[in-house]
Amino acid sequence: MSIEIPGLPEDMPGAELKYVGKDVKRIEDPGLVAGTVEFIDNLDLPNMAHCAMLRSPHPHARITGYDTSAAEALPGVVAVITGEDVKRWANPVTTAPEGWGSYCLAVDKVRFVGEPVVAVAAESRYIAEDALELVNVEYELLPVAATAEEAIKEGAPRLFEENESNVILSKTYDWGDVDQVFADADHVVSETFFWNRVGANPMETFGCVSTWDTVNNSLTIHGSFQTPGFMALGRAFSLNLPTNKVKVVSHPHGGSFGGKGGPRGSEISSLLSRKAGGRAVKYIEDRVEYLLAGAGQSWDRYYDASLALKADGTVTGFKVKLLDDQGAGAEGYGTISIAKPIAAFTGCYRIEAARYDLNVVATNRAPTYPYRGYGPPPHNYVLESLMDIAAQKLGLDVAEIRRRNYIPPEAFPYTIPSGNEYDSGQYEVTLDAALELADYEALREEQARAREEGRLLGIGVCSVVEPGVFDWNAYTTVGIQGVGVPEGAKVSVDIMGQITVTVGFSLEGQGQYTLAAQLVADFFGVDMAGVRVAYAATDVAPPHFGPGGSRLGVSITGAVLGACRKIEEKFKLVTARLMQCEPAALELADGFVRIKGVPGAEMHIAQVAGTMLARSDLLPPGMEQSPEATYVWTAPGRTEPDEQGRCKSYLTAANACHVVMVEIDPGTGRTDILKYCVADDCGTRLNPATVEGQLMGGIAQGIGAALFEEYVYTDDGQPKVSTFAEYLVPTIHEVPKTDKAVIVTPSPFTPLGAKGCGEGAIHTTPAVIMCAINDALLPLGVQARATPASPNRVWDLLQQAK
Amino acid sequence: MTTKQTVKVTVNGIAYERQVEPRLTLVDFLRHELHLGGTHVGCEHGVCGTCNILVDGKAVRSCLMLAVQVDGESLTTVEGLRNRDTGDLHPIQQAFVDEHGLQCGFCTPGFLMTTLELLRDNPNPSEADIKDALGGNLCRCTGYEAIMKSVRLAAKRVQEGQDIGLTHTD
Repeated sequence: MSIEIPGLPEDMPGAELKYVGKDVKRIEDPGLVAGTVEFIDNLDLPNMAHCAMLRSPHPHARITGYDTSAAEALPGVVAVITGEDVKRWANPVTTAPEGWGSYCLAVDKVRFVGEPVVAVAAESRYIAEDALELVNVEYELLPVAATAEEAIKEGAPRLFEENESNVILSKTYDWGDVDQVFADADHVVSETFFWNRVGANPMETFGCVSTWDTVNNSLTIHGSFQTPGFMALGRAFSLNLPTNKVKVVSHPHGGSFGGKGGPRGSEISSLLSRKAGGRAVKYIEDRVEYLLAGAGQSWDRYYDASLALKADGTVTGFKVKLLDDQGAGAEGYGTISIAKPIAAFTGCYRIEAARYDLNVVATNRAPTYPYRGYGPPPHNYVLESLMDIAAQKLGLDVAEIRRRNYIPPEAFPYTIPSGNEYDSGQYEVTLDAALELADYEALREEQARAREEGRLLGIGVCSVVEPGVFDWNAYTTVGIQGVGVPEGAKVSVDIMGQITVTVGFSLEGQGQYTLAAQLVADFFGVDMAGVRVAYAATDVAPPHFGPGGSRLGVSITGAVLGACRKIEEKFKLVTARLMQCEPAALELADGFVRIKGVPGAEMHIAQVAGTMLARSDLLPPGMEQSPEATYVWTAPGRTEPDEQGRCKSYLTAANACHVVMVEIDPGTGRTDILKYCVADDCGTRLNPATVEGQLMGGIAQGIGAALFEEYVYTDDGQPKVSTFAEYLVPTIHEVPKTDKAVIVTPSPFTPLGAKGCGEGAIHTTPAVIMCAINDALLPLGVQARATPASPNRVWDLLQQAK
Repeated sequence: MTTKQTVKVTVNGIAYERQVEPRLTLVDFLRHELHLGGTHVGCEHGVCGTCNILVDGKAVRSCLMLAVQVDGESLTTVEGLRNRDTGDLHPIQQAFVDEHGLQCGFCTPGFLMTTLELLRDNPNPSEADIKDALGGNLCRCTGYEAIMKSVRLAAKRVQEGQDIGLTHTD
């Protein structure tokens, strides 16, 4: 059955939309402000034990012995597990590429500081932590590969001794005739860049409660999971259970930004439950554990990149050589983040040829995981910085060189050299809106005056494509097979006409339950307050992925509207029989199925649903008594990648232009943001208030990455960050007020024309702040090429300039 | 393990008495002994403000206090904000809903309690006053702009006469 999903808001049934496209208050919020929402640590199961983990103090060491006897003897201790138990009962996690996964507890050796080594379940967390102090682990220290540069050297200590080296992936992509465009260039600009690892740091750390049914050999894990179905599948493989015997129940969680629910905590609590004979075991990661080894550290990268230029400023080629530090293996799918930039490799620009030369390396740092943006933020920082360098080389304004290279509106849908197709965009309109908002010429005049006074004022102008609605095919380079990411929703109308939407993901912060209620309310023409949105655990949920890859807003819109359409068809069949007319003569509006053009000839949807459930005798012959439907949406037209990784991957290409002015304090190296202007085009905005929330949150995280946040390691692999006193998340003082302009270029390919927007601003903010800082530093002859441009780094540069 | 001590405390107007270990943190006491789960734990080292509650009317980090330290005190947590009879949201809670001052909502109870202290003492705060008061609360979702708007809206409603229902001694 082919279902036609409305491509624009005006294609929805009914004359007027009351909710879609409006600043709708979120149905999630009353419970959240009241403090009544069941976050995972609010869940207590009967007879539940509590887990604590002993973690490695060494970056690389062989485990030569354990003594857990004193811990086991401590009153209140329920179970203790070590690598020996894990070896018997579990497998290393699957990875992409394969062969770089660890067991949940260290087996034979530790590979990073903070790696779990022994785990205890006890009557309370306090007792479990007491027990850890009684555990003795003997280590034989091994040489350390502390950085990617060290790890890639001949003879470097190998993390995974079964592999020939620490190189997880080495590959070069050529898209177009790269050597030729560089040979033909009038100018080539090149630079090296370093992006220090940052991380998600949601305010809630990870937590879960595992119950291993030792009779039926099945497992239930409640937890703060971003992607419940994916987590259940992975745990089935790593814990040797059939895939239908692992049930994951995702609880509302306090943010995620990519990394919520890494495998280790779930597996460790599950194995403790198994060892404790099936008692529920809760594990709540604490912040120190999160900062040392939690799922959410991302992007530790060295770049060497070049642009090929024509004399008129046309950019013809882009070469990127990337050395990527994955940390201790690929357990967190951090590798995927080197693949995502391929979906928008050449940004907003008509660059005809590109090369991506990848070396992805394991080191003795914490493993990397997804974080909002999933790779493009550093990539965009490199591309946009090179655009500025090119502008300087040619004596062009930074806005002008971008303008000369944009993909023009009439070229969409537009296929970029790395294979993805951009759906729509008006990049010059977005640029002009941002420049006007900022009063760009006045900013430049202000800068000129300030420079005469010796002040360090800088302006950044960056244009970025934000790929949205991810597809698995984008990640073929790391070995992921698959095209399509199903997301399902069930819509059901009960005998009283009340409507429930059931989805496979839980609350995380983006307001997607509200969106589902908006859509259903407008589709059927009912009051949104009456629509319930319910969560289904993995054993009963429709196929789903959940939030990720700026995909859920678009995909849940498709799923909900698809299910609504199916119900509309059923309702029309029933009503046509009852009213003795053709189904095609009927329309759905304002809560009624009515005969078009015949006032009063109508049935309320409650009557229709009630008839379906209570009067089988009145239904069309053979019709199911089922006023409900499930629809599983996936992005249309996705293609299998070719040998150069080229395919239609991310469905939408949102676009933003940020214009920023900063001032650097020459005495301290501190950067203040004086002005921040954003023009953003993410297609149709289904709930503009929540879209703006995504944008603002992304800007704040981008500011953190550009100015403050950094997982610092010593030269011998010891992490120096273990609290929020060292990992500096921006506060209300550091995030400026922004001026915003909204551009709407609907996607021709998505439900209602919406584009992915969840990762939005973090794609752009780090780039534009770094560009502004370097513009400020320009008169001094120094440039910041490492993130974050924290006061100490900038101060060092200022000293060099003296 | 050490000898347990008695803690008598009033939380949101209700008197509780429990025997606790001296090492039990106040936030663990609230969450796991009294089952008041609305106060969340973000860092357990006093930086993020997620666990802020009012002790004797002052906003404190409940992760940095021990339960035994509040013996005899009067506490207010997020559960104490709503109107107990009607269930209506407190004006500050309503302002956060109205202005989209939250996304995941995990840090929100801490922001609400800090805002309550602010507006009780200063119903007409300047932008600098708000930043000063909320500078010790981390939010990873909103970028703070909508929180700023929420606090301003709440302040406006307090100035218009809405009762935020808390005196210093509550």
